[in-house]
Amino acid sequence: MAKFEAGMEAMADMYVFETTSLLEQLDQILMKTENESSFGEEEINEIFRTMHTIKGSSAMMGLENMSKLAHAIEDMFYIIREDHPVISSMESLYDLVFTASDLMKAEIELLQDDEYTPTDFTEQMNKIEAFVAVLKGGEGAALAPAASAVAPAPAAASAPAPAPANSDPSQTTVRVFFEEDCKMENLRALLVINRISDSCSKLEYSPADIENNPDTAETIVKNGFDVVFIPKPDSSIDGVVDTIRTTPNVKTCNIISQTSAGSSAAAAADDDSTTVRVHFEDDCKMENLRALLVVNNVRDVCDNVSFEPADIETNSESAKYIIENGFTIRFKSDKPNMVLQVIESAPSVKSYEVIENTAAPQPAGTAAAEKPAETAAAPAVSAASPAAAPAAKPAAKQEAKPAAAAAKPASGGAKQSLISVNLNKLDTLLDLVGEIVITEAMVTSNPDLKGLRLDNFQKSARQLRKLNSELQDTVMSIRMVPLSGAFSKMTRIVRDMKVKLGKDVDLIFEGEETEVDKSIIDQLNDPLMHMVRNSMDHGIEDNVEDRIKAGKSPKGKLTLSAYNSSGEVIIVVADDGQGINPEKVLAKAEKNGILTKPASEYSEKEILNMIMLPGFSTNDQVTEYSGRGVGMDVVRKNIEKIGGTVSVESKFGQGTNFIIKIPLSLSIVDGMEVSVGESIFTIPINSIRESFKVKPNQLVKDTNGKEMVMIRGECFPLIRLYDLYDLVPGTNDLYDGIVILVETDGKCACLFADELIGEQQVVVKPFSSLLNNYNVKQNGMAGCSILGDGSITIILDVSNIISDF
Amino acid sequence: MEENTTVATSASKNYSADGNEVLFFTIDDTIYGIEIKYVNEIIGIEQITIVPKIPDHIKGVINIRGKVVPVISVRKRFGIDEIPYDDRTCIIVLEFEDGNQVGIIVDRVREVVVVNKNDISKTPDAKNVNANHYIKSIVNLDSGIRLLLDCDKLIKDD
Repeated sequence: MAKFEAGMEAMADMYVFETTSLLEQLDQILMKTENESSFGEEEINEIFRTMHTIKGSSAMMGLENMSKLAHAIEDMFYIIREDHPVISSMESLYDLVFTASDLMKAEIELLQDDEYTPTDFTEQMNKIEAFVAVLKGGEGAALAPAASAVAPAPAAASAPAPAPANSDPSQTTVRVFFEEDCKMENLRALLVINRISDSCSKLEYSPADIENNPDTAETIVKNGFDVVFIPKPDSSIDGVVDTIRTTPNVKTCNIISQTSAGSSAAAAADDDSTTVRVHFEDDCKMENLRALLVVNNVRDVCDNVSFEPADIETNSESAKYIIENGFTIRFKSDKPNMVLQVIESAPSVKSYEVIENTAAPQPAGTAAAEKPAETAAAPAVSAASPAAAPAAKPAAKQEAKPAAAAAKPASGGAKQSLISVNLNKLDTLLDLVGEIVITEAMVTSNPDLKGLRLDNFQKSARQLRKLNSELQDTVMSIRMVPLSGAFSKMTRIVRDMKVKLGKDVDLIFEGEETEVDKSIIDQLNDPLMHMVRNSMDHGIEDNVEDRIKAGKSPKGKLTLSAYNSSGEVIIVVADDGQGINPEKVLAKAEKNGILTKPASEYSEKEILNMIMLPGFSTNDQVTEYSGRGVGMDVVRKNIEKIGGTVSVESKFGQGTNFIIKIPLSLSIVDGMEVSVGESIFTIPINSIRESFKVKPNQLVKDTNGKEMVMIRGECFPLIRLYDLYDLVPGTNDLYDGIVILVETDGKCACLFADELIGEQQVVVKPFSSLLNNYNVKQNGMAGCSILGDGSITIILDVSNIISDF
Repeated sequence: MEENTTVATSASKNYSADGNEVLFFTIDDTIYGIEIKYVNEIIGIEQITIVPKIPDHIKGVINIRGKVVPVISVRKRFGIDEIPYDDRTCIIVLEFEDGNQVGIIVDRVREVVVVNKNDISKTPDAKNVNANHYIKSIVNLDSGIRLLLDCDKLIKDD
C-alpha cells in the first residue's frame, strides 16, 4: 500500500522535517512552563500554533490520526486559555501532552518505514477528552466526563446536541460515492464525517459502523454512503456539501432529500464573502499542494470556501497556473481579517491581496479587540450545562483557530536567513576540501621545485594556503552545531525519570553553546542519555533522608557541562549523589571473573573505569532505566567510535562525574610528521610539548632496563616507536634520532623516532573496518592520511600509546 | 577457448541468469577464481604502507585515488611462502556490499570466464578438507578443475 496519495511523496520529507522540529519546539515550551509551573498567554498561543500547523499539514498528507490528535490537544488548550479553569492536576496535563508528543514522534519515525500503517490514537484522544471534560466540569458538576471519556472522539463530536439558535433545522440527506478502486471506502467515508462534523449540529450516517467494520466498504461501493445532517447555524448546507465534495477521493455527492426547506444560508453568503488572491514564494515548488494547505487552513476557520484553480488536488499542472496568475480563494466569514491572517501565516505564502470584499471592511484593531469577548461567550454557555460540553467543543474550536493564527505576528517582509541542507552534501564538501588541502601540499612541495628560487611562486603559494585554510575553517564552521540541542533532549529524560522515580533533581546546563561537528553530535545522544539515566537512577539517592543525613540539599543536582580544551571538547555529566563504592565494584568484578591481576593491585581509577566493561552493573535490581549492565558499555563504544574517550571520577558519598572527551572535528588535524625507518607517522600537534635531541646525561634506566629521560628535573618514560611497532628503524642510537615529548590527559611520555619531517595539516581517513577488527585504535593508531606525494601516513593517538605503556 | 567458455568483455556483465563471470588468477601453479561481482579493478603492485600490529597476511594499506585500502597477501593467507613481487604481480581490488574495499595480492591474473551454473559443484562436506572454508565451490571447466574462492571468508578473521 502506498503511504501517500500520488504527488504527496515528494512532500513527505518536508513534512517529516517540519513536524519533527515542531514537536521538539513543543517539548521545549512544555519543559519551560513546567519549570515555572504556569502557562503564560504566549506559551499557550505557541502550543496552539504548533498543534495547528501539525494538524493542517498532517491532514494534507492524509494522516488523519495525527491530525486528529493534534486537534484534540488544540481543543484542550483552547479551554485552558479561554476558561482559565482551575487545573487540579498540572502533572496529568503535562503527561497528556508529553505522551501525545511522544506518540506523534513515534508515528513520524514509523512513517519513514516502508511498511507503514497508521497507529490508532483513540486511547490517547479519549484521555484528552476526559481531561477536557474535567476541565470544563470543574466549574459546574463533574458528571459528564465519564460518559465522554469512553466514547471515541469522532462520536463525541458528532453526538446529537441541542442546536440552540436554530429552531427550524433543515435536515438534508446526501449520498456520497467514492472514486472507483480508491480502496477502503469505509475509512474514506469516516474522513468525510470527520470533516463535516464540525459544521453540523446533527449528523447521522449509514452504514453506521464504518469505523470498525471493514466490510462496510463493499456496501458503500454498491449503494453509496448516506449522510444525514443539519448544518450549524453558522454554516450552510452548501458549505457542508462543498466540504464533502472536496474530501479526497469523493467522486459524487448528491442531495437526495431535504426535510425542511429552511432559509438557505448559502444564498445570503455572497453578501459578505471575500475574495483573496494568494501568491507563493518563488521556487517553493508544488504550488498546487501549498494552495491546498491554505484552503485547508482557511476551511478550519470559515465556511463556504471556494477557490480557483479548483483542481489543485488532482492536477499538478495547476501549479503553473498558480505561479502565473496567483491562487484565488473565496470565503465567507464575519471576521475576514482573521482569515487573512490564517492565509498569511500558511507556509510559503509570499503575499496576498484582497481583490473583492463585499463585507464591510473591518479594521484590524477591532478584529483583535472583538475576539476575546466573542470567544469567551461560547464556553460560558457550555459551562452552564455540563452535559452539552462535548457539543460545545466544535463550536469552541472554530473560534480557537483564528485566535491562534491571529496571535502570530504579521511578519510578511522578513526573509528567512536559514536554510536546511542535506548532510550528505556537507560531507562531500568536506571531502573536497580535504582533497584540496592534500593537492595544495602536492603542488607547493612538488619535488620538481626543489632547489629552485621562486619568489613569486612562493608568494602565490602562501596566498593559496591562507585561502585554503580559510575555506577549511568556513566549511568546518558550517558543520558545527551547538551542544544545546543534545543537552535539551536530556531535560525530557530527566523530567520523565523525576516523575517515575520520585526523585527531585535540578538539571543544570553549563557551556551548552559549545560547538562540535554535526557528525559527532549525532553519535552523542545515546551515550549522554545512558549517562544521565545512570546518574538519575544510581547516582542520586533514593531517599531524601539519606541526602539530608549526608549534609546535602534535599534536591539533587545533575550538571551537564561542556567546554573546549586544546582541540577537544570535554563534556562532564556530574551528579551530587551517592557516588560509586569502589569496593562494591571490585567485589562484583571479582565475582564476574573479569579481573586480570590480584584485586589489591587495582588503583581506584582502574576500578571505577570497570563499570564501563560490558555486562557490568553494580545495581542489584534491573529497573526500567538501568541495571542490565549494557548502558555504560554502549557509552564507551559509541564515544570511541567518534574518536573520543570516557572516564569516571567518583567520590563515594559525594557524587560521580562522567567525563567525555571528544575531538572537535573528525576530519582535519595539524600534525607533525616523523619517520621511523620507512614508515611515516603523524603526531597531532596539540599533544606535542616539545621535541629535542637527548644528551647522554639525560638518560636514566630503571631496574628492568626501562629507559627514562630527564627533562628540567622531571623524568618521563621513553617509548621507542620502532620497538612499539616492531619496525626496522633508520637508527636505534638514541643520540642520533629525535625525541618528542608528548602529553595527553596530564600524562607525559617521550617518543623516539628517526627524524622530524615537518608540520602539515592532514585529512584523517578512518581505517577500514577490516583493520579495525585488529584493535589498531587500542594500539595507538587513530587513522591514516594521504600525504602530498601520495604516500600514506599513520596518525598516532598519543593517549592510547601512553595508557598502554 | 573451449565451447562452453567465452572470454568476457567488459560489456557483457549480465550473465547472471545462467552463468557467472569469474576472474581467474594463479598462486604458484594453482588457478583460483573469484566472482567478478566483487572485483572493482586490477592494478599493478604499489608501494604498501606498513600498518603495525596487525596479522601477517595483511600487508598494509595502499592509496587508491585518495582512498586508503588494506591489502592482503593471498600467499600468506594460504600459508604459502611469499616470493618477491615482479611485474606480473597484481593487486585485485575487491569491493564488498558495504562499500568496503580490500586489495588482494596475487601472482598473476589470467582471464575472465563465463561459468555455467551446471559446471559448478559443491565442496565436499568433510572435516579435514577445506577446513578454513576459503573455497566456495569447485568449477569444472574443459581446461581443468578450478577452485572458486569465497571472498568474504578470505578477508574476514578466522
